[in-house]
Amino acid sequence: MTLILLAAAPKGPLDTWSPTLLAQFALLLPLIALLVILAFTIDSRRASAAISILFTLASVICALLVVAIELAHPLHLERPATFLQFFTGQSGGASEFTLQWGVLSDPLAATVGLAVVLVSLLVQIYALSFMRREDGVVRFFCALLFATFAMLGVTLSVSYFEMLLFFGMVTLSSYLLIAHWWQREEAAAAAVRAFIISAIGDLALLAAVAYIYLRFNELNFQTLAGQYVSGRIGANGLFAIAILIFIAAAAKSALFPLHAWLPGSAQAPAPAAALLHSAGGALCGVYLIARTYGLFHASPRALALLAIAGGISALLGVLWALFQDNLKRAIAYTTMGELGLMVLALGIGAYGAGVFELFTHAWPKALLFLAAGVIIRELRTERLSEMGGLWRRMRFTGSVMLIAIAAAAGIPPFSTFWSKDTIMSKALALKSPLTIAVIVAVTFLGAMALVRIFALAFTGETARRRRFEPDRIRDVGGRLAFAMSLLAIISVVAGIRALRSRFDLIGFITFPGVPLPNSHYAAAGAIAVTAVLGAAVAWVIYARRLPLPAALQPVRRAMGEGLFIERAYRLGAVAVLLPASRAMGWVETHVVDGAMELIAESAAFAGEPRNWLAQVRIRQLLIGLFAGIVALGVVSILLAGRLIGKA
Amino acid sequence: MTLLEAIPTTTATPAALPTLLLSALIWVPALGALALLFFPSRTELQRQRIRSFGIATTALVLAFAIFMWYGFRDQSGTYAYEETRTWLSAIGSSYHLGVDGVSMPLLLMSAFLFLFAVLSSSREQSKEYLALLLVLETGVNGVFVSLDYLLFFLFWQMQAVPMFLLIARFGGRRRLAAAWKFLAVDIAGSGVLLLAILILYFKAPVRTFDIVALHDVVLPTAIATLIAWLFFIAFAVKLPAFPFHTWFIDAQAEASAPVALILGGVLVKLGGYGLIRVDVGEFQTALHNFAGAVVVIAVVTVLWSAIAVLAQDDLRRVVGYVVMSHMGLVLLAAATAAPVALNGAIVLMIADGLTAGMLVLLVAAIVERTGTHSIHAMGGMAGRMGKGAVLWIFAALAAIGFPGLAGFVGQLLIAVGAYPSHRIATPLALVGVLLVAGAMIVTVQRIFFGNISERHGRIRDLGTLELATTIGLLSLIVLLGVLPAILMDSINFSVITLLSRGGG
Repeated sequence: MTLILLAAAPKGPLDTWSPTLLAQFALLLPLIALLVILAFTIDSRRASAAISILFTLASVICALLVVAIELAHPLHLERPATFLQFFTGQSGGASEFTLQWGVLSDPLAATVGLAVVLVSLLVQIYALSFMRREDGVVRFFCALLFATFAMLGVTLSVSYFEMLLFFGMVTLSSYLLIAHWWQREEAAAAAVRAFIISAIGDLALLAAVAYIYLRFNELNFQTLAGQYVSGRIGANGLFAIAILIFIAAAAKSALFPLHAWLPGSAQAPAPAAALLHSAGGALCGVYLIARTYGLFHASPRALALLAIAGGISALLGVLWALFQDNLKRAIAYTTMGELGLMVLALGIGAYGAGVFELFTHAWPKALLFLAAGVIIRELRTERLSEMGGLWRRMRFTGSVMLIAIAAAAGIPPFSTFWSKDTIMSKALALKSPLTIAVIVAVTFLGAMALVRIFALAFTGETARRRRFEPDRIRDVGGRLAFAMSLLAIISVVAGIRALRSRFDLIGFITFPGVPLPNSHYAAAGAIAVTAVLGAAVAWVIYARRLPLPAALQPVRRAMGEGLFIERAYRLGAVAVLLPASRAMGWVETHVVDGAMELIAESAAFAGEPRNWLAQVRIRQLLIGLFAGIVALGVVSILLAGRLIGKA
Repeated sequence: MTLLEAIPTTTATPAALPTLLLSALIWVPALGALALLFFPSRTELQRQRIRSFGIATTALVLAFAIFMWYGFRDQSGTYAYEETRTWLSAIGSSYHLGVDGVSMPLLLMSAFLFLFAVLSSSREQSKEYLALLLVLETGVNGVFVSLDYLLFFLFWQMQAVPMFLLIARFGGRRRLAAAWKFLAVDIAGSGVLLLAILILYFKAPVRTFDIVALHDVVLPTAIATLIAWLFFIAFAVKLPAFPFHTWFIDAQAEASAPVALILGGVLVKLGGYGLIRVDVGEFQTALHNFAGAVVVIAVVTVLWSAIAVLAQDDLRRVVGYVVMSHMGLVLLAAATAAPVALNGAIVLMIADGLTAGMLVLLVAAIVERTGTHSIHAMGGMAGRMGKGAVLWIFAALAAIGFPGLAGFVGQLLIAVGAYPSHRIATPLALVGVLLVAGAMIVTVQRIFFGNISERHGRIRDLGTLELATTIGLLSLIVLLGVLPAILMDSINFSVITLLSRGGG
């Protein structure tokens, strides 16, 4: 509402305020809060949390203003600054090496940036209550602020260089969030895995930066946008850059086969996982693709790569989610399905639809993790097989979870229905049966996986366990409920489209050359029917706890383990790299070092003096040293003199 | 238009700069060492005084270095603070000193690290130890500022002996073996260096050791290539490049913390400096003839050290391999001889010096508390050493070139600069960076996360002095990572000058 009022004003402050300046404020406020906390209030939980939330709130306001300004005048403005610049003396082309950073404000950056800070704010309000009894609350808030800063930095980047800078920070922030409970071996191991896979992506991005710089002498997104098709680089070169960018994105956004860190990220505390999976680290890969879409758009092979990788990831993600027993891991795998769907959308040329999905998916996913956090805290288990019967005891959590599931599954009229519908429209327009089949399958299985979670947790009876009294389960209230209900409201309305007006989000973020996605009734109908059908099937199966046929048990085990890919990676690391490293250690001690020893031994004096060295006084040695230097000088002079004499 | 003409001219007046500063920078530590020998060291107070004297001497050197750097910034492109005195004129050698943008930042780093080394030395150390450290500083600074090959060689020798004694007398259990290996390899390397210098001296038409004067000499290609090779081997031994690196890993593992700090932080940078100053600066064409071999050695160095670090259980050796992998990147940049890459190499050397210092100090703190070097024997220490854990994470991030820290700038510049000429080697080197990153993050998990073992229940967190030294280093790393431009301008002008002069 505010937005409409602000934007509808005929000539107001929005026409004169600089969106880049506001974006800069939005970016820097979390960083300032972080520094203030580290410098002054590190010992006080209350003060730190208050500072964190207040600064994030200010950042949200700035981001809202940026969106409002962009809605009024969709501009692509940037405020670049020089990070490093020097003269390289290379003839031809640019003779200066320049690295720029700064903020960029365009509809894409503004929208995603708003999602980042708003989710971060709600997650912090939730964490205020949720983490109350934990150790390291201040550390947690610092990590959240850092993650917010890093992700905002990614969204507002003006150049590949800055993107690389903030990608690294996102890697670190994910690591810190996942390793929050560092005493748990699994959490620490999951954090290491996330870091390493993320670092693979960062290095791919670094290689891409080197290659792009070589070809274009330029790293700025907006300058480069028109140059991909200018013929300065061949189709193979473009595809190579696209592959590197794709690897960077896949590592961050858990696309197959670099997804192995995603299930482990559920080891993070619930609010951290909510941020990570909705608008944080896991989304920045998709954002990178959207930001560099000109590159992919210029290379048909790159688009095909996106579509294929996205489709595979989406299918695998929802399939695995369907067989997970761990609540948070199940939700994490549905994220993988959604991320795959976004990339698939970008791959088939549905640019606006893919970005729209990024925006609509954030809210229900954050809500799902927050609700899961409450459920796990009350039930003191993460295993779905030990849950059940919560509907009677946690009515509020159940309701918001139901909204989140409906919104994430694409059931009309909740948020992701609208974005899935536009993706489907594009697929129908392409008349590609395979794409249509994948989207239908992902929607169907995704709805099944989500409803399965609800059915297993909320229907039936709570499993009896030792030292656990179901009667002590309490529903949430206060700040937790506030944050969750706000997210629920946004989950409902985020997708609704103001049919073809300029406030229609999907017409807001456009890419030149890509037509605006249109919804067809056929697409909307297909998505609605598929989602509802999937939900109904899952309800029938899981609410009644129908047993799985024995023949399918191995399938369940394989799917539950993520087709053993994660295990294969670990095995690969342990079975290949470590033995290689040991073998090299052997070569080093026996071959390389052996040769060295030979030199050392052949210095014949080395044998004897070992004994006297231990006893002799250092003072004598020092005197000897000075004498030696003098002697060396004298000898060299004499020697050189005689040699010259001869010469 | 040649490159040199294209450089924007600077408005500097070299005459205004005092010319004794460089000599002071070299000889103040040596004089300090001499003076220390006359200090009594019987009582606690006297030993305290010795320590204060050592700190004051290194701080004075640092003050000189900072002062010089401020005066230096306007004076880019040529040698500054040049000082020429007659010395051994019969054989054409003179006492010729000078700094440019390549040596000045390294000199600054060396001055910082020596101060940190003295600060972090334990209070019980004898005065001989401090004296040796100061003599070492004289040798190191001398190498950085010599513009005469004979002088260069003498200072090169001068840092070897004190380092040998420091390892042999104050190191760990296997210190003697490590020290002898260091000395033997170092003398062998110096022999090659001397050989190269003598061949150059006798083959050149003018009888002089002066680096600047010898630059214009034209030698036959075969001779020039031979000399360049010999120089390269001498510096590669010091660097340490594969397969000459085992002395370094052993010495790094056995030396006491402040000595290891100087060894990994400063001493190996002499190799990198020599490569850039002599091989790239003076024998660029000759180096170009065998650049392929250098690139192969560089990539093998990076990958070998990266894989070696994976299964390494000794925390001190881990630090050694990390430094080695960075020096491999420096070697790659030197082989490229492109301005951007060389800038990166110098920044990376400084970043690595500071990072290695931080890692060494933290390793020493951890080893002292747990009483073991084995990574597997540690675990869960974040609960006891919260500050230590945070600083170790920072140090590990700095070592792997994390954005916002100094190493990132160096690695980025090397990658961007080396890629155009070495399309396969550069990505391979990046794989090495990735492996090091993985290994460092795993060490964080092994040392600090997980369950704490019973034996480590009573360890305490970092003390004030440890915090001061490590945070001091960290702030320098962050400063360089966020504002690399403060060093970059002066480095770049000298790099361009170095490259544009060519040389045969």
